[in-house]
Amino acid sequence: MEIRPILSALMRSKVSMVLIGLQVALTLAIVCNALFIIGQRLDNMNRPSGMNEADTFWLGSSGFGQGFDAKAVQQADLALLRQLPGVASATTTNSVPLSGGGWSTGINLQPQQNTSTADTTIYLVDSHALDTFGFKLVGGRNFKPEEVTRTTFGDQLKPASIIVSKALADALFPDGDALGKQVYMDQDPPTSTIVGIIERAQQPWVSSDSIENATLVPTYMPYGNYSRYLVRAEPGRRDEVMKLAEQKLSEANPSRIVGRLRSMEQVREEAYAGDRAMAIILGAVIVALLAVTALGIVGMASFWVAQRTRQIGTRRALGATRFDILRYFQTENFIITTLGLVAGGILAYALSLWLMQTYQAPRLPWYYVPVGFLSLWLLGQLAVLGPALRASRVPPAVATRSV
Amino acid sequence: MLKMTHLQKVYRTHLIETHALRDFSIHVREGEFVAVTGPSGSGKTTFLNIAGLLEEFTGGSYQLDGVDVQGLGDDARSRLRNAKIGFIFQSFNLIPDLNLFDNVDVPLRYRGFPAADRKRRIEEALGRVGLASRMKHYPSELSGGQQQRVAIARALAGSPRLLLADEPTGNLDSLMARGVMELLEEINRQGTTIVMVTHDPELAARAQRNVHVIDGQVTDFDEEPTLKRGAETGDSGLAREGVTA
Repeated sequence: MEIRPILSALMRSKVSMVLIGLQVALTLAIVCNALFIIGQRLDNMNRPSGMNEADTFWLGSSGFGQGFDAKAVQQADLALLRQLPGVASATTTNSVPLSGGGWSTGINLQPQQNTSTADTTIYLVDSHALDTFGFKLVGGRNFKPEEVTRTTFGDQLKPASIIVSKALADALFPDGDALGKQVYMDQDPPTSTIVGIIERAQQPWVSSDSIENATLVPTYMPYGNYSRYLVRAEPGRRDEVMKLAEQKLSEANPSRIVGRLRSMEQVREEAYAGDRAMAIILGAVIVALLAVTALGIVGMASFWVAQRTRQIGTRRALGATRFDILRYFQTENFIITTLGLVAGGILAYALSLWLMQTYQAPRLPWYYVPVGFLSLWLLGQLAVLGPALRASRVPPAVATRSV
Repeated sequence: MLKMTHLQKVYRTHLIETHALRDFSIHVREGEFVAVTGPSGSGKTTFLNIAGLLEEFTGGSYQLDGVDVQGLGDDARSRLRNAKIGFIFQSFNLIPDLNLFDNVDVPLRYRGFPAADRKRRIEEALGRVGLASRMKHYPSELSGGQQQRVAIARALAGSPRLLLADEPTGNLDSLMARGVMELLEEINRQGTTIVMVTHDPELAARAQRNVHVIDGQVTDFDEEPTLKRGAETGDSGLAREGVTA
């Protein structure tokens, strides 16, 4: 291998080498971190909510006028929804996963704890919730109808029974014996007993650190004159049922406005719109950077081939085969890329450190940089292949041509 | 050493055919110093390119050190060129970004010599041309005459059987030209066959034999090599052998 003479020749034309090396270094640093961020966003977007998202939708009812009895309307609405054709199940709820708005509280194992044992979101639901949401019960039981209390907005929640997500159960009772245990909500007695554990239920906030900590509280509690319902349609009938539900609820009581219909698929799309946009933008940046780097290498190598035509001819005259010439340019690119990659590797970890300190981003996994090394080596070799093949076709007779 | 018989070289474009060499025959024996002269466009460089396996020929035959080169592939020609031929170019053709050591090393690397052997050969070759102390210098730091000496060292380092020189003094002033010429004569006295293309009748006169080329054909040649140099040096009888051109 001609590494030493190539390197010493490169050291005599440092500007081009430094520029391309710098480009490779920046590309590696940015691409590694951008890919990691995209990967994180995609992982977030692919997290299951624990719900049946394909068949469910939610809608709101906002009453107006004097004498609007929100509690009575809520019961009537649930009865109406449950008997609509195509409806498999319906429940009242204050929120749903991924929606961006909901309630949260701390859960304690002792009364008057200064710091909560775990944070949780609260879904105020009735005994149809498991069936409607599609939450999978992995321990204990569902709420009994008689356990569902009737409360008014502003009342302190004092549920005798609660169902918690497995993540929350594990956070509260790491030994796995949460079922039947008593916990304190809102810091005060009385206690609530965990009667059921569901496999997974995400919180409404996609960026929450404890996204899978959720608690189902059995209560009917309209938010003033506003109630919200979650409906699960029979498979394949969601869109049809959405229209029907809106129409029938509106007809049933003209003293309110029915609206804010959203399928859970829409809710998910809106929840991750920012992440999706970020992934697309970063993806475009990666493609652009790689393209610019590859074009930079092609441009530099083409320039060098044109500039060194006589030199290549001389090398051929002195005994170089076509493959020797091809290998020369490939090796030269390998050296420049490697120098850039070494700098880029350090830069990548430095950038990751800065993102960690500034944006509390997770640390860049170590293997991103070696994978980036291999990818950019390959990119460099492919980019230089065209000019290198052109160089290998320079005839040796060029050596004797007049300048 | 070099035997071309009825060689033809035709350059073809879609409009015209140019006969660069026609019925070109020459026989250079081992140890000779032959000067090839002729006006511009006469075919001297084409002859040199074919002799040096830099170009292929259209017809006839060419044997280099007993090897029929017709039909050899590109790689085989490169290897044969590397092993048998040393080149000296009018413009020196040194690689500006490599120091003298690395410049002389270029053909040796392609030959695949081990590093220690290459180092010995480079030091020996540069010593032979009087530049051993400047191995780490770059071509731009040398005079034209010194650069041509480096090129000669590069040509000699691989111990070639044949040295092809293309106007080796064409870019040098008369003093430097004389120095280079004396070096070539000394190399020839030590047994290396040299074929030199030149415009300069004075230089040509110093060769053992002159071959004159016009319009791609050999028009004039010495029947016998000049005996003077062989006699002066007590060189072997190789240089005194008859010539077939």
